[in-house]
Amino acid sequence: MASSDSSSSPLLRLTFLSVLIIGLFLALLTRLWFLQVLTGDRYLTLADTNRSQIVVTEAPRGDILSEGGAPLVQNRPALTISADRQALLTTDDTPVDEEAELAIGRLAQLLQLSEDEVMERLTSRRYSPFRPVPIAFDVTPEVVFTVQEQRELFPGIVAETLPVRSYPHGELAAHVVGYLNQISEAELADERYADYRGGDLIGRAGLEASYESYLRGTTGSRLLEVNAQGRIIDVVRETDPVPGNDLIVSLDPELQAVTERILEEGIVASRDFVRDDGRNLPSTAGAAIVLDATDGAVLSMASFPTFDPREFVGGLSEDYAQYLYHDEDVPQPTINRAVQARYPPGSVYKIVTGAAYVEGGLTTPRTQLPCPPSYEQGGIVFNNWNRVDEGRMDLAVAIMRSCDTYFYDLAYQQWVREDRQLEAADRDLSQAEIDEVVPEVAERFGFGRQLGIDLPSESSGYVPTRQGKFETWLRTRERDCRLADELEPGSYGQLISEDRCRFGGRWRGGDAINTSIGQGETETTPLQVAMSYLAVANGGEVLRPHLGRAVVSPEGELLEEFGREVIGTLDLDDATMAAIREGLLRVVMDERGTANAAFEGFPLDRIPVAGKTGTAEQKPKVPYAWFAAYAPADDPQYVVVVSVEEGGGGSQTAAPIVRGIFEHLFDVRPIDEYVFELGPEILD
Amino acid sequence: MEVGYGEDRRVRMLRENVQDRWGSAYAPFRPLDPVLVVVALLLTGIGLIAIYSAKLQALTNQGLPTTLFITRQLIAMGIGIVGLIGASLIDYRRLRSYSVVVYAASIVLLILTLTPLGTEINGSQRWLVLGGFQLQPSELAKIAVLVAVAAILHEAKGEPGIGSVALGLVVALVPMGLIFLQPDLGTSIVFVWLAATLFLIGGVKARYLVGLVVAGVVGVIVALQMEVIQTYQLGRLTSFLGASDPALAQGGAYHTRQSLIAIGSGQFSGKGLFEGTQTALQYVPENHTDFIFTVIGEEFGFLGTATVLALFLLLVWRGLRIAVMSKDLFGTLLAGGIVSVLAMQVFINVGMTVGIMPVTGLPLPFISYGGTSLIVWFTMIGLLLNVHMRRF
Repeated sequence: MASSDSSSSPLLRLTFLSVLIIGLFLALLTRLWFLQVLTGDRYLTLADTNRSQIVVTEAPRGDILSEGGAPLVQNRPALTISADRQALLTTDDTPVDEEAELAIGRLAQLLQLSEDEVMERLTSRRYSPFRPVPIAFDVTPEVVFTVQEQRELFPGIVAETLPVRSYPHGELAAHVVGYLNQISEAELADERYADYRGGDLIGRAGLEASYESYLRGTTGSRLLEVNAQGRIIDVVRETDPVPGNDLIVSLDPELQAVTERILEEGIVASRDFVRDDGRNLPSTAGAAIVLDATDGAVLSMASFPTFDPREFVGGLSEDYAQYLYHDEDVPQPTINRAVQARYPPGSVYKIVTGAAYVEGGLTTPRTQLPCPPSYEQGGIVFNNWNRVDEGRMDLAVAIMRSCDTYFYDLAYQQWVREDRQLEAADRDLSQAEIDEVVPEVAERFGFGRQLGIDLPSESSGYVPTRQGKFETWLRTRERDCRLADELEPGSYGQLISEDRCRFGGRWRGGDAINTSIGQGETETTPLQVAMSYLAVANGGEVLRPHLGRAVVSPEGELLEEFGREVIGTLDLDDATMAAIREGLLRVVMDERGTANAAFEGFPLDRIPVAGKTGTAEQKPKVPYAWFAAYAPADDPQYVVVVSVEEGGGGSQTAAPIVRGIFEHLFDVRPIDEYVFELGPEILD
Repeated sequence: MEVGYGEDRRVRMLRENVQDRWGSAYAPFRPLDPVLVVVALLLTGIGLIAIYSAKLQALTNQGLPTTLFITRQLIAMGIGIVGLIGASLIDYRRLRSYSVVVYAASIVLLILTLTPLGTEINGSQRWLVLGGFQLQPSELAKIAVLVAVAAILHEAKGEPGIGSVALGLVVALVPMGLIFLQPDLGTSIVFVWLAATLFLIGGVKARYLVGLVVAGVVGVIVALQMEVIQTYQLGRLTSFLGASDPALAQGGAYHTRQSLIAIGSGQFSGKGLFEGTQTALQYVPENHTDFIFTVIGEEFGFLGTATVLALFLLLVWRGLRIAVMSKDLFGTLLAGGIVSVLAMQVFINVGMTVGIMPVTGLPLPFISYGGTSLIVWFTMIGLLLNVHMRRF
């Protein structure tokens, strides 16, 4: 029985077996110690990540309302089909499995899109991975029903209701209201947008942009506990979204509609007019502003051509993007010309230069100065718009008649005086003390700077100065000198370039003369013109233009109010102010006034209107038409400014449009009976 | 000193005589090994708690009674205790004569699972449904093979020749092959291990044992080459080995990953009963059956897992003690075989949950939900008690 081979001992063999078993158990224990004690915290994090899912809850954006409570922009719920990118796609944007691929195909068919289109939207990096990517907005209830009822066919695809911007008035006030767009990757990288996430909408233009922080609200979040099947088991933590605040604006929707309509009709109708050269007026674009003369609030603001903000909801279509940004027949429709355009002001600027020459002591408001048909200086002839000698006149009449030559001589005298001051400093501009009255007074009127309207991208315009011209020359000299060398000697272009190359930094008499009638380098926005006329209308206070009246919480609590804000004064002598106001009044009221014909039949005895025509030359283009006015002249309530790019004479195109707006404002005739009538072609 | 079979026994008898005098005070319990029974019941109790926790959330969600699974498990435990008593009452030596019958019956049952009578779950035909009760014949086959091979080796009286080894091998391989066809890789491995340890204890020469191990390794390689192993098994295996085909490995990798997260996140002292998120939110599939250890790991931490392993080691120790005490080779083989199967099954099951063994369907003895397994293990404990009682 006993074996000579000790290995046959059952005890030894059982010992061998037990050692083997203890070894196995030790292996398990070591592994468990490693997993649970040494690296357990890492697995705890993984377990928490596993079960937790953060879902962002959108905060409803605030409404933009008129003072009467009529909404300009609201939110409306849109039925949306969204897709969970993580559930459908791998990290390299390919479907995770056959099931996901089939689901994408079914979705494309359901939404009547191509699979490529669905994939394109699904893979768009503009969206945050923390929430489903919207694939289609405003789908039909049938589509939602299909997706919800056949979940197994549409894994990772959800139907949800998302708030989108709704515009009860359609295109109305598109430029003022603005639109939303997805935040860009560059913005997301910027710390100013730290609380935005990919896919967030951000105000891109108009009030939506300037009141972004008020309107936006704060997104909420829900930390969910989900099980392995993705079903929500519990809401661990929930932060409610804080809805954005409502903005109440001074814009009057009805007046806005009328303004837009009259501006467009006037612009379009003026195109029928055939000029002396046999070509029609181009009238490519224009702007109109109606202000409350008492506090600088914008009552309406139109820019033509316009666009439809509804097209931005859910992303622009390719066709509409083409229209907005690349259509040659529609020059930049997204630009709000009322605040962003830089136009030469032409004769509407004469109230500025006229006041400046009086301020500079070159003349008095009552001094009678000649108004010849032309004025020669330095061998160059500068013409009045009227080829007839109008005799001597004071400032008021010069404004009424918009006499160019009256201003030319004053401009030249001012230039001579300044030149002497420069001479005194050995022509060293940096050392000289020069009283440049025109830029100084223009600054008081609000030109050459942003007025601080609550709209984005306000242009500051440009007021030429000696220093400014010199600095511009320093920047552009090199190019002009090169052109002077390259172009054919003696050609017009070569001569101009040569002149600019050598003397471009000098403020010359011709510059002063051109500036005196609002041409040359001077550039203004329609808004600046409107605010300067408002300052005249109210007796000398320059106000900050504004649209916002108040910010109100969703509960109706008044959070902030925006009222009348004086940002400067004209500081003109009473006599000067009186002369300007008289001149402006007579532009419309006096039979010889440049805008009198345009207001024929308007009840001026009841509603006296003061205004100024302007026809700004910008050769080789057709002149820009201007009309700036306020009414009633004795107790101004409204300031209205219209400018039309390449619209011909101010009296011809702009003044009749302003008249139409006044007719509505003062209930002269119902808008339905309004007909645009072209005024006389006075190219002041 | 030459330590032969009889030598062992003589030493033991001397010790037992002393113990007997001390133990006479506990006369009614003397033949019993209370540790075995208590530990088995403890493990079953831990299992019931873990099953309840694993299924609590899911059953609540489905609106079903939360005690559904543990009620069934308790019934199985009751039957198991009956099996235990039964297995301990009949003298184990008589089993030798029944071994052929038991073995033949289990083979028949195994064949039946492969016929349309068998029920397919998760791609495997492992179950027979008998009057509303699911029976897993591969569990029963464990006892059959154990008894049959032990009987053959007993006949060889500790010096088995090539003939006995060959016969034992055939007896073990036939049910193993049938189980492999279900397919059930884990149980197949357990059968190989069972046969090997029985050969070891039964005195098979070292060179035969080495030869068998080499043959086994070659067999596995050939099986892989011939793609005998089902794709899902291969997937689980390759995921365990870190293979590159993600589509193939996905199922297994997910299992392992979630299992590791569950056990690891329990850290030293666990998240507390019913506090395991991986468990409650069903991130670990099959966490009431094959992956029950993840529930213990997550909710009771290292303390819990180490305790469970310690309890299993306690069973192993008591079992090996019985194997040594047995008065004949058959008893030693039975006890040693039971212990080695237990240890290997624990190692494979726990090893797969901690990522050091491939994912194969194999329950954790006493703890996993599953009636047949529980009944069989109680019966095994009964056999151990049987050998223990009849050691004089």
